[in-house]
Formats: sequence, structure tokens, C-alpha cells
Amino acid sequence: MSRVVYDGAPIEYAQGDSLALAALRSGQHPARGGTLCLAGDCGNCVAIVDGTPWVRTCQTTARAGTVVKRHPNGSHPSPGGAEHHAHVAVRHRSADHVVIGSGDSGVTAAAAARAAGDDVLVLDAGDGNEVIGVFDGPTIVVRTTDGVHQIHAHHITLATGAAELHPVVPGNTLAGLYTAKAAAAVRGAGIDLGRTVTVGAELVAIRGEGTVSSVELADGTTHECDSVIFDLGSAPRDVLARMAPMVPVTVVGPAAAAHALPPCPKAGVLCSCGKITVEDLDGVWAKGFQELELVKRSSLVGVGTCQGGMCMPHLRAFVADRSGTVPEPFTARPAARQLTLGEVAAGYHIDTFRRSPLHQEHLALGATLDKFGGWFRPWNYGDAVAEYWAVREAVSLGDVSTLGKMIVSGPDVVEVLERLYPNHVHDIKVGRSRYVLILNERGHILDDGMILRDAEDRFTLTFTSGGASTAEMWVRDWIETWGLRVHVLDRTVSHGAINVTGPLAVELMRRAGVSDDDRPKFLQHRRGEVAGIPCHIMRLSFTGEASFELHHQIDGSVALWNELMELGRPLGIKPHGLQALFGLRTEKGHIIVGQDTELDSSPRRVNMDWAVKLDKPWFVGRDALLRTAALPDERRLFGFTMEGPAPYEGSVIRVRGEVVGHVTSSWDSPLFGKAVLMGWQKRLPHADVVEIDGREAHVSPVPFYDPEGARARS
Amino acid sequence: MPAAEIVSTLEILRGWRIIADPSALDSATWPATSRVVRISPDDVYVIGSVEPAVPADPYAIITPEMGFAGVGLSPAEVTAIAQEHIEWPLPSMRPALAQGQIAGVPAKLELHVDGSALLLVACAARHELEARIARTLAGCA
Repeated sequence: MSRVVYDGAPIEYAQGDSLALAALRSGQHPARGGTLCLAGDCGNCVAIVDGTPWVRTCQTTARAGTVVKRHPNGSHPSPGGAEHHAHVAVRHRSADHVVIGSGDSGVTAAAAARAAGDDVLVLDAGDGNEVIGVFDGPTIVVRTTDGVHQIHAHHITLATGAAELHPVVPGNTLAGLYTAKAAAAVRGAGIDLGRTVTVGAELVAIRGEGTVSSVELADGTTHECDSVIFDLGSAPRDVLARMAPMVPVTVVGPAAAAHALPPCPKAGVLCSCGKITVEDLDGVWAKGFQELELVKRSSLVGVGTCQGGMCMPHLRAFVADRSGTVPEPFTARPAARQLTLGEVAAGYHIDTFRRSPLHQEHLALGATLDKFGGWFRPWNYGDAVAEYWAVREAVSLGDVSTLGKMIVSGPDVVEVLERLYPNHVHDIKVGRSRYVLILNERGHILDDGMILRDAEDRFTLTFTSGGASTAEMWVRDWIETWGLRVHVLDRTVSHGAINVTGPLAVELMRRAGVSDDDRPKFLQHRRGEVAGIPCHIMRLSFTGEASFELHHQIDGSVALWNELMELGRPLGIKPHGLQALFGLRTEKGHIIVGQDTELDSSPRRVNMDWAVKLDKPWFVGRDALLRTAALPDERRLFGFTMEGPAPYEGSVIRVRGEVVGHVTSSWDSPLFGKAVLMGWQKRLPHADVVEIDGREAHVSPVPFYDPEGARARS
Repeated sequence: MPAAEIVSTLEILRGWRIIADPSALDSATWPATSRVVRISPDDVYVIGSVEPAVPADPYAIITPEMGFAGVGLSPAEVTAIAQEHIEWPLPSMRPALAQGQIAGVPAKLELHVDGSALLLVACAARHELEARIARTLAGCA
């Protein structure tokens, strides 16, 4: 015989033994007591196996060297460390028809399905395919020896049979208790059960210290024994059927048969998973939770590992006795087995965070990367204030490759854009551009960006990094809705973009080969080579300084970035990250959609009525803006300044103690030597002085910096 | 495109992107040395260095496309990728273009008659996809 280690001591097992049988062979209960079914129905044999808790030892074959540890007495086991939650592979499979259970009814169902021409897959825990959940799809999740399988089926037949009932009487947590089939299995393995008593509904109580020593019956007799075998009837093994009420599941065989409820339990542990007693149920019933689902939720009966597989009949009998009505079974929840985190995560992925073509350059420059708008982006390169001063006083590069970018072309393109945007489009000349808001039908700000006219019938559009995907759907949906002839091509991930910004940006552009004649003026754009890389050069400004956005094919990003950094070295160039950028734009009062706006922010609320032309015949959101224009509106975004450190974004804004809004953007301005911020006031009258973090903050006109915009145009 | 241009790991592919009326794309003649992937009725991705033309649509958008990375997959690799990383059913017809999430990353599979495929993914997400399918591809080596 070989040996496994059980609670620190080696025990012998026979070939083919489960771990539970090995424990019984050594005279021990595999857990700490309770009726054993040895069929995987209950949780009375779970233990920590090779570091993984909640393993059903009756379903786990003993192998030499396996280390088993019982769960702690009276509490749950530790979930274990990362080593016990390692990567688990997932396999996707498809089948016309999946039959769960390979007993007689399963075999019959599978044969019938095959005869009908279906591709049939039969799953049975005994064959190493333990179904742990049925989900919409339908998708069946199966634990196997080589990972988790997700099986996509058109139809599911459950042929899972019936489970033998456990007793609910005092003493039912002792060792030495077996269902009839479990006792047969133990005996079949050559394990002596000692003196046995077979009992049914006449059982009143089980006596013993740790292990059973006698049973009391309803006729008042007591019978000494070493083991008790129960003949209490059975219940459908229907957890998987109850798990998927929206999935087409056919239940056949004993799993579908009518089973009489057991007598109402009077005492003892009813839910062996949670060690919840009949007395506990009486307690919640007395508090008024007098319906099956309420009893479940208030007592947590049926929410354990077996999802009511063992306790449901007794629970229904309890509720039927108290209420006079037999309740329907409750819905079961996946998973039907405790899983490791690796199994839970198998086949699932976190969101994809995209990388700019300059990702490695940022890392080489010591950038701290942050996830923002679905991308990895440089937060700073070690000194955000130095990056800020490079923009304000010299020249700096920013990676804006993440911006949404789109080409639209077609005979109806002007008509489409006039309908999509709240400002005029037809009068944008070729080679010129315009800042634009995008509104939804309710007149609320959805995104913002630029419109650049490339030709009479062709434009380039830009959007925010986080809004690009929504913007593409928005544009496409409206074009299809209107039936207008416009082609759309999203360039967000195909084009890189570098922002050259600062008072020396013009000089850097000269050094990169862009002559003064070729350099676009403010809000102009043109195509040309920069440092040998073909670029779409856009003159605009988010930082408040002269800025050139250089859009280009991403295979040129690294060369362009490095060449500009090299050419800018004598000019004091530094790259800047988001931290500096957010401060720079806050000083200019430029909003970030989604940060400074809310879901219902209209242009008026953010002081951007100037970006809306209500004299246009129609645009998305116009009707709502006209409807609400005459209404009083308490909400308004303000600029503030305050002494001392900048408050956290999200800080509460109060007026005379009353909460009126919150801070949306906040920055310790190196230039002004105080905090500049934006935030909401949502109560009338709007105050000139508010309280933030217990300090005074004063309303201030925005932009805080260069209100005439001279520097951006220089 | 010549098979030699498709490398063994996800690399940026040089090509062209054409958005035009479907009928114009149907009647267009593509460069002989290019591989043509019809992404949708109005969207063609031409892998190759020769600029294509679509004379039947004056509003066609024709632009260089460096935004995709690609890798050729053997039939065994296609099977392994499908089993481990694709929740949706692949089309049964060959050749075919399948588009959807692979290991949670939006991607495309150009499925060939011989069971092989060209896996395409946006360059910005190729590192994620590479990391997620590396174990699978290593198992096929």
C-alpha cells in the first residue's frame, strides 16, 4: 500500500481509494464529522488537499504523497496563497447537445440525441468532468484534470440522478454516519463499519462523543452501534437545473422524478455546509422571515457549497410545516463547487490597456505609467513641476497618440458634420480647424475635439482618448440613421501623435525642417515632413502655449520622438506627462470631458455657450438646448483660486456650511504660487467665496493664464 | 502578400486601408503582390507596399495602414488558439475572415483553406495579445 499524509500523519490507502476512503480505512472521518454520501453531493468530506481548501475528498483519488489537512474546527479555511491559485487553462468546446450524467437516464438521453443526428457530449464527474455551473449562452463550465472547460451547447440534458437524504436530528454531525450507498461503497472497499444500524424516518437522535455510539428511535428504543446507515429516501440532484432558469435544460430520470419531502425536522444541523440548525431557522422565522427565499437570505441556509443540494428538502419541509404551503425550490447560484481563484479567472481577462507606439521610449525616460482612457500613458517622468516649466518657458513633447482620430469623406460630409456638431462646419476653410463639442440628444456634452478640413469633401476629426470608441459608434450610427453618403475610417490606433508645445516650439519646428512659410498658424493645419517623418501638422493649444500636434503613421513615432528630443536638447526640451498637462490645461480653464463634466452637463453649465450655434437649422441636441434655454439652471462650473495646497479633486465645495458642489480639477500652480481649480456650484445664488477643505476659495475668471490667448497664437 | 513577409511573432504589417462604396471595392483590381483582407463591405485592408486605387469611388479613403500587427498561424496553432482563447464559433467556411475577441483582445483571423490563418490585431494591443496567447503557442512548438 502507498500512503498519503492526513493531518500530518501518513496513512495507507488501497489502489483506487478516494482520499475519503483512505481516511475511513485508517479509522478517521475525512473531515470532522457528519453524514457521508461519498457521491459528491454534500460538503461533509471537504478538506484542504495539497494546499487547496474545500476539496471533496470523496471525489479525489488518493495518490502517494498527497497532503490533506482538515479544515479548522468551527471556521473556514484560509483561501491559501498565490501558489494555490495559479493560472488555470481554459478550453472552449462546442456541442449540439450536452448530457450531464452518465447513469442509465444519461445513457438513454445521449442515445436518443445521437439518433436524432446531434453531436453529443456526455459529462460525468466520475469521468473527471465535474460540471460547476450552467450559464446563459448556454455555457457549461466544467472542472477537469487539465483545467476548466467552457462548453457552448445548443441544448442541455440533465441526467444527474437523485441524492440520498441526510438525517436532520440531534447528533447528525458525529462521525460514523453513512447513506446507504456510501455504506455500500465503504464495505465494497473492504472497510469494516463495525456494528451497524440501518434507520429511516423513525430516527429521533444520534448519540456519541465524536463518533456515534447509539441511536434513539421514535418508539423509545436505543440501539448501540459503531455506524449508522440511513434509509431516508432521496431528492432530485437538480442544482444545475435550478442554476439556469433562462437556459433550455431538459431534466430526465430520477433528477426529474417527484420525490416526497421528508418530515419536518425538529432539531439538529439542517445545513451542513453552514452548520445552520433548525433552531436557527426557528429564530429567523420568529423575526418574520416567513418565506423560503427570506429564510434562506436571513439564515444563509442553502448558500453553501451544495447550493441546497442536501438541505433543500428539509428546508422546504420546514417552511411547509410553518406556513402550510409547500414552497418551490429556490434558484441555485454558480458555482456548484468551491473554486480556486485560478479556476474562477480561467478564460477571463481584464480590460485591454493599449500601448502608445512610444511606450518603450517613455519607459526609457523613466516615466511612471498610468492607465487612463483605456491606454497606458506617462503620468510623469519623475518631476512634474520641471515638465510644467519646460512647457511654460521652453519646449516640451507630449505623447497624444491616444487621441481619437477619424477621417470622414463623401459628398454629404458637410451635411453630416453640421448635424453632428453644434457649431458651424460649412465655413471651415480647407487647411483650417475648429474646436468642437459633441452633444447627445439631451444637449449634454458627450465629448469634444477638433474638426480639420482636408478638402471640400473630406475632414479629419479628433476626439478625446477615452471617448474615441464611443465617438466612432456615435458618428457611424448617425450616418446610417440619416442615410447620408459618407465614408468613415477610424485612425486612433493607426496614427501616432506628438504635441510639440512651449514658447520655443516654433524654434524646434524650424530645427526639425519646418520653415516659417510651411508652419501652420493658429488653428491651421497642413501636411509636411517634420524631422523627415511625414506628418499632419495641427496648430492648436491645450497647454496654453504655442503647440503643434504632429499626427503620423505609427511606424514613424519612435524616430520622430527621438529626433525632436535630440533637436530640442539645446532648447531645454523635456517630455511632459499627464500630471503636468492636467495642471497646464487647468490654468487655461480647458475642461476634460468626463472629469470636469457630468453626465448631464450642458454647454451652458460649463460656460461654453460660445461653442453652440443655435441659429443652425438643426444639430443633435439643439431641440433640448432650445427647450431648456429659458429655464433657470443652478449648475455652473466655476474657476477658483485659494491659498495653500491644492485640495484633492473631488473635494466638497460648501457655501455657509451647505454642500453646493465638488472640485473637478485642482493644481498647485507653480506660476501663480497658489492653487487654481475648477468645480461645481449647484445652488443659487452662486457665491463668490466658497469653502473647500475648511479654507476659503475665491471664484476667479478663467482662463487663469493668458486669457487673451496670445501665447497660444504666438 | 509573399509569405516571407509574415513573421513568426506579431509584427507591424505595412499596408493600405481603403474605405469606399462596396460596389467600387468589388470591382477594384488590387496589386498582384498584395494580400487583400475584406474587413467589411466598405472596408478593405491591403497588406503590401504598393498603393492601391479605387477608381470607381471619388470619395474613397485610401491611406497607408501601419496599425495592424500580424502573425501566421499553423493549423495546429489555429486549433489551439480557438480552443483556449475564442469563445465564439469560428466560421465553418474556408477561406473566411473571423472577427471578435481572442483572449479578450479584439482581433481578426483570416482563415485559409489549408487550416492555417493570419492573426491580425491592432498594434496598440499586440503586447496584451502576445502575452495572453504565448503559453498556447509555446505548447504548439
